[in-house]
Amino acid sequence: MLCDVKEKTRGGCINPIFTCQPCGAQFVSIGVKDCIGIVHGGQGCVMFVRLLISQHFKESFEIASSSVHEEGAVFGAVKRVEEAVDVLLMRYPDVKVIPIISTCSTEIIGDDIDGVVNKLNAGLLKEKYPGREVHLIPIHTPSFVGSMVSGYDVAVRDFVTYFAKKTEPDGKLNLITGWVNPGDVTALKHLLAEMRIDATVLFEIENFDSPLMPYGNFVSHGDTTVEDLSGTANAIGTIALNRYEGGKAALYLEKEFGVPAILGPTPIGIRNTDTFLQNLMTLTGKPIPESLVRERGIAMDAITDVTHMFLADKKVAIYGNPDLAIGIAEFCLDLEMKPVLLLLGDDNPNYRNDPRVKALQENVDFPMEIITNADLWELEDRIRNQGLELDMIFGHSKGRYSAIENTIPMVRVGFPTYDRAGLYRHPVVGYAGAMWLVEQMANTLFTDMEYKKNKEWILNVW
Amino acid sequence: MPYHEFECSKCIPERKKHAVIKGPGEDLTSALPQGYLSTIPGSISERGCAYCGAKHVIGTPMKDVIHLSHGPIGCTYDTWQTKRYISDNDNFQIKNTFATDMKEKHIIFGAEKLLKQTIIEAFKAFPAIKRMSIYQTCASALIGDDINAIAAEVMEEMPEVDIFVCNSPGFAGPSQSGGHHKINIAWLNQKVGTVEPKITSPYVINYVGEYNIQGDQHVMMDYFKRMGIQVLSTFTGNGSYDELRGMHRAHLNVLECARSAEYICNELKKRYGIPRLDIDAFGFTTLAEGLRKIGMFFGIEDRAQAIIDEETARWKPELDWYKERLRGKKVCLWPGGSKLWHWANVVHEEFGVDVVSVYTKFGHQGDMEKGISRCQEGALAIDDPNELEGLEAMDMLKPDIIFTGKRPGEVAKKVRVPYLNAHAYHNGPWKGWEGWVRFARDIYNGIYSPIHQLALLDISKDEIPTDKGFETQRMLSDRDLSEDITASTVLHQYSGKYDCLAELSGKTYPRFETDLAHAV
Amino acid sequence: MDMKEKIEQLVDYIMKNCLWQFHSRAWDRKDQNAGVLTKATQILCGEAVELETPTDRCFWVDAVCLAEAYKSRYPWLAAMSKEEIKQIMQGLHERMDYLTITGSLNLELTDQHY
Repeated sequence: MLCDVKEKTRGGCINPIFTCQPCGAQFVSIGVKDCIGIVHGGQGCVMFVRLLISQHFKESFEIASSSVHEEGAVFGAVKRVEEAVDVLLMRYPDVKVIPIISTCSTEIIGDDIDGVVNKLNAGLLKEKYPGREVHLIPIHTPSFVGSMVSGYDVAVRDFVTYFAKKTEPDGKLNLITGWVNPGDVTALKHLLAEMRIDATVLFEIENFDSPLMPYGNFVSHGDTTVEDLSGTANAIGTIALNRYEGGKAALYLEKEFGVPAILGPTPIGIRNTDTFLQNLMTLTGKPIPESLVRERGIAMDAITDVTHMFLADKKVAIYGNPDLAIGIAEFCLDLEMKPVLLLLGDDNPNYRNDPRVKALQENVDFPMEIITNADLWELEDRIRNQGLELDMIFGHSKGRYSAIENTIPMVRVGFPTYDRAGLYRHPVVGYAGAMWLVEQMANTLFTDMEYKKNKEWILNVW
Repeated sequence: MPYHEFECSKCIPERKKHAVIKGPGEDLTSALPQGYLSTIPGSISERGCAYCGAKHVIGTPMKDVIHLSHGPIGCTYDTWQTKRYISDNDNFQIKNTFATDMKEKHIIFGAEKLLKQTIIEAFKAFPAIKRMSIYQTCASALIGDDINAIAAEVMEEMPEVDIFVCNSPGFAGPSQSGGHHKINIAWLNQKVGTVEPKITSPYVINYVGEYNIQGDQHVMMDYFKRMGIQVLSTFTGNGSYDELRGMHRAHLNVLECARSAEYICNELKKRYGIPRLDIDAFGFTTLAEGLRKIGMFFGIEDRAQAIIDEETARWKPELDWYKERLRGKKVCLWPGGSKLWHWANVVHEEFGVDVVSVYTKFGHQGDMEKGISRCQEGALAIDDPNELEGLEAMDMLKPDIIFTGKRPGEVAKKVRVPYLNAHAYHNGPWKGWEGWVRFARDIYNGIYSPIHQLALLDISKDEIPTDKGFETQRMLSDRDLSEDITASTVLHQYSGKYDCLAELSGKTYPRFETDLAHAV
Repeated sequence: MDMKEKIEQLVDYIMKNCLWQFHSRAWDRKDQNAGVLTKATQILCGEAVELETPTDRCFWVDAVCLAEAYKSRYPWLAAMSKEEIKQIMQGLHERMDYLTITGSLNLELTDQHY
């Protein structure tokens, strides 16, 4: 086999690919309407995640902290959760959903956030806020387990588990997008609309890209409602596009309410989008309309313009959220490129058995490495010290120096991409995303050719 | 007490004592908010944690050091690449971050073995770097790993390396300020006095509380070098680990950010008798006074004066160009800690703007004493502000611009208030004469952005001028100015380069031969 | 303008422009106020200033700047006799001690550690 799957052999981490679980839960929380999460831990666990999200979207999002200080760390800090809930409810009259998101510190000291939720439900909410709809949802995201990716997965599951309620079948489809950008949600909703499919999209985050209006104050926030979440039990099926970011919720709905689940594929590239549409057709019985055939055609036309001329045989490294990284690797193969290094940045043991990873192992005809529990040093070390030659890197902004230092062109994808403007507006999924990605790759290569004076004249007549 | 009660915080009465408006006839004994107290949970405060105060604010600007966090991955990741503290060794400390990446099994069984392995791996990955700082986090503190013991063990086995340990978990204090304190004291106790520096000048200082944001330290080093002063160490921007071990040999500690670094100055005074001189390097007159004081201290005031004269002559016409156009603009000065007092008076004096509010995320009452003293009457001072209070204050005060952090800046944007990054700067450096003009230029560009003006228009209701294809900043800023000013041949706009530091590298400095003979 | 108003002008200059009066602990503030203001008084009165120790020099540089600022901003100082200057500076010292130490609301001043 030319493709190895290996786990990082070092113990520690140099230049991480991911942050920790609470970040994933916080990212989910901002997708829910009238929801402000409380992160139960030190203040940095919120302050920096808010900054990170703000760096990516150039917007500010509201997330609260229970502000655990020394005393709480020593004697327990559940009291601070009670106080935080009360303060939030008093000052934010529209808030009705409050996830209580644990962290490493509060998991280690053993604060019982489930217990405190019961206590608040029986006490404070009844006494001080009778008649107000308030949902307190404990979400356990110890930072020493998994990564922001699993934190996202856990939180989607916990939101769905909390709200999903079987009533009448509503004929809708659940579409769990995974950790994506507003541009992706727009692209996915466009595909659903073209297929005339009524779907509940988890999560409705298009308004993360919010306007600067001449009046009022538009706070960026997601629009998924409590009703959307409770209705997920009544759907005709669930598609979780990203196995590791929403898969747990899909499987829960299947097990608990018999809602059939399809995990993946992440609809990156033409082929995976085709599969996604086939899955939509299977679950809903709706045909694929001519408009999408045409849309696909436009993408195919654009991609054909650059593929075998410019992209073929280019060696690439990809790091980031596993579904995104694997999806891009698959697309790269269709584009005749060689994804020689794939970095999956946490210790989830399931990556090794992922059918997509297995397929890569069985079929690639060039040396390829897939590293799990990876950090960016796995990339950097190979470039600097082991002679790895790359034509392009795909990844998020935290790895920008791997590209800059080694003068390798880089296409920013995933989260966060704070060192480029407006990327959150553009999709990487669907036919539109496939076209955008390919054109980004081509233009990035072209700029690099010009900057390095590397056969840049070839573009004169292209 | 002239406390200001926010509508949005009436339901949390303990907030009332955290905001004051200093009215006529009032002074610090009647107008001072509470400060550095436990944060109110759920208030959506802007505070960070004690780990970040130690690691991110003070630790990481040290340039020739592997900065390793002992804990789960998030602490390291989240404090990586979110600040603009550059260094002259190609930004090693910005580019690379290290963690033990503690997992569940380590929480249960301890992570000391993992820590040791990670230390060795990190040194192996970067063989040119022989110094390391290890930062405790909430998790490693709570499981009780003995980081000091592991560091000692490694130093024993690898005599060429030196390791500093900072035990400042995230929960250690109400804000990042707890971490500033802990790392000050830890550095002093563990490392100061462990290297004897080579003294090359009779005039030896430590430059303390300076973090080289966008190159501030490079700018100041230029002045110190022109004065023939030996800067033994900078605590900590562009600072070198071994240089900082020799802090005890300075003749004077020149202190800027007293909020984050006065502890080490106070202790150096107590233990080694080194006096502490507080200066403001932001602003023409303030910086001039600071350099003069340093010059006078060493009896080389003439050297300071030469710099002051040259720089003032060079940059004053540019500063005043902006001052004429910024006069009377309302500013919310909402930084983290020290800038509220560094800037409160001098932006009024030298830019002509009016500071209508100051706030501090993590400052103590001492910072508010300085800030309230320095800002104008009627200014609203807020300690540990939260999201809703910030919005209410902006609604009440209608500032023309706000100086704050990146994320709160996004909040301001949505209510159509332009913001400048008070922590990391827009187009810094902002220290030094040229830097101060750059700050003025950034303010001007923020306030008079034609795009900002367009943001205020409601196309469905307002009268929309259809006779214009564009407007320039000058068309907006000069509308009501007298011709004396608009046609002045003396005043002019900023004329420096995008990167004003480039010309500093490779610059040669005078050798003061007589100084060398007197170096002790 | 009476003495009180004059003192307030002197106070205002310090508050707006200086940092030496705001060290973090009461004992340091006492030393700082005494050190700088004593030397400033000596400078304003044309008396010799002791510059023996580094600490003296540090007080002195702040005092020189303060005295210069006072002279240039407050012409009424020039019309004062040495005795009057000493008296007003004494009043200033008391006022500064009150504002920054005895009347200060800063709860950290009495913390025994830095």
